[in-house]
Amino acid sequence: MAASTPSDDSFLSRNQFLLYRLFSLAGLVPVGAFLVVHLLTNASVLGGAASFQSRVNLIHSLGPLLPVVEWAFIFLPMIFHAVMGFVIIANGMPNVGSYAYMGNIRYTLQRATGMIAFAFILWHITQLHWLGAPLGGGQFDPHHASSSAAVALKPMLVALLYAIGILSTVFHFANGLWSLGVTWGLWTSPAAMQRANWLSVVVGVGLAAAGLGALGGMRAIDVEEAREIETRMDRARQLLEGETADSHAAGAVQPVSLPALD
Amino acid sequence: MIRAVDNGELVAGQQAAASQPREIRVRVLRQDAPGEESYWERFTLPYEPNMNVISVLQRIAALSKSHDGRHVAPVAWDCSCLEEVCGSCTMLINGRVRMACSSLVDNLFEESPGEIELRPMTKFPVVRDLCVDRSRLFRSLERVKAWVSVDDSYDHGPGPRISPEEQEDAYPLATCISCGCCMEACPQFNKIELGRREGETEEAFETRKQEAYDKQFLGPHAISQAMLFNGHPTGKMNADERMEALTGQGGIQMCGNAQNCVAVCPKRIPLTRSIARAGRAATVWAIKKFFDR
Repeated sequence: MAASTPSDDSFLSRNQFLLYRLFSLAGLVPVGAFLVVHLLTNASVLGGAASFQSRVNLIHSLGPLLPVVEWAFIFLPMIFHAVMGFVIIANGMPNVGSYAYMGNIRYTLQRATGMIAFAFILWHITQLHWLGAPLGGGQFDPHHASSSAAVALKPMLVALLYAIGILSTVFHFANGLWSLGVTWGLWTSPAAMQRANWLSVVVGVGLAAAGLGALGGMRAIDVEEAREIETRMDRARQLLEGETADSHAAGAVQPVSLPALD
Repeated sequence: MIRAVDNGELVAGQQAAASQPREIRVRVLRQDAPGEESYWERFTLPYEPNMNVISVLQRIAALSKSHDGRHVAPVAWDCSCLEEVCGSCTMLINGRVRMACSSLVDNLFEESPGEIELRPMTKFPVVRDLCVDRSRLFRSLERVKAWVSVDDSYDHGPGPRISPEEQEDAYPLATCISCGCCMEACPQFNKIELGRREGETEEAFETRKQEAYDKQFLGPHAISQAMLFNGHPTGKMNADERMEALTGQGGIQMCGNAQNCVAVCPKRIPLTRSIARAGRAATVWAIKKFFDR
């Protein structure tokens, strides 16, 4: 009898079905759900710096729990989805050249946009999230949400790369939603798949509008004006929470006294 | 069931014949034996109306001469029924997988006038020229137990009734001819080609091949057959075993929803419907298995 190779009973082989299904599920919740919340939150910048700041404050009101929530519900599932995604991409052999059917084109785009989204998200986190601060990033200041984002997104090249990144990520999610429905058996007939397709289109167009709107909105922000609004809101928040300006040295750029703003 | 070529195709072919070229130039990707280098060979033969790719290959065999007049061995190919039922003459014709018997030259000339390109399927090991080893296709059917196992010498009385609705639903799946088109076009289905080791017996080699096949994707046809027999009142008795195979390594999860299978299927079998139904069944089955254990 031929000796069995190690891959025979590897964890991946034994739990292949489970892992692929968890991969599929993770794309919807929590990763996809986070994407929806994230883009809609960011789109609130279209309502002005104050509107966006209040939503950011809401998120950051989690305080020390925020990193726990981030890692448990965003980063770890996203890393899992990405690692599995690369395994899946490595095992496929796109053939749109020979079979240029719409489904096949979407199959290929799903993989291409997945890789673009991966690179984009990695850069995006480094650039804006505090985790990227040691690498010269971490430009987003939660106490000056709109103004710090506006400064970071100001260069034309950055905005262009963001537009590509956002559209790729949104396509990946919307098309993945349709694919997930087939995988789990939500829509089984060709007619149902066609209807589900429209659902994907609506979700995709809606999220693309929100994402690009957020990007445009951030860039349209008047940095000076926004900073003033944000500083005032930060001061008000500190007063409400009974904190002193000193206890929040990391957040506030400058301790501000109220009369100075009048 | 005998299914002749669609009348519409025939008429279209005859009309097109009026402006046909006088000769057919054929490029064949040849290979002398398993594992050897492949090479292109060109053949030129006089045009005749109403030819299919099989009759082109028959003319090439009769000719046994390449386009530059060299005497060459006839091109080897598989075929049997000549009416898209046996599934043995699958090959890449003008870069697309299809049946040689139902590929009419006059229709192919609409894609590339005067020229035909023939290649063996790329997902199966080549035996010689256009003949490939499709044993993995049949191994997949074994993996999902694509049959009704009630054969014995006892009289079990009449089987359970099947409603006309169920029949209508199941019939298209039963028209599968095991041609391999769906596997060839599937971007998730990768070629497995093993070479026979020195001193290895035929049996040992077969076992090693099957072990390799069993770890990889079943293919769309096997998923569809599993759903056909899981829907059959007697076949249902082995439903759990089929679900075990569908959710095992190389099972339904390997599908990437490119949906090429349904687009290239010569029998127009609703393969993606079967796959989605298998996905649903796997969802339910996996949850049940988890909570019932």
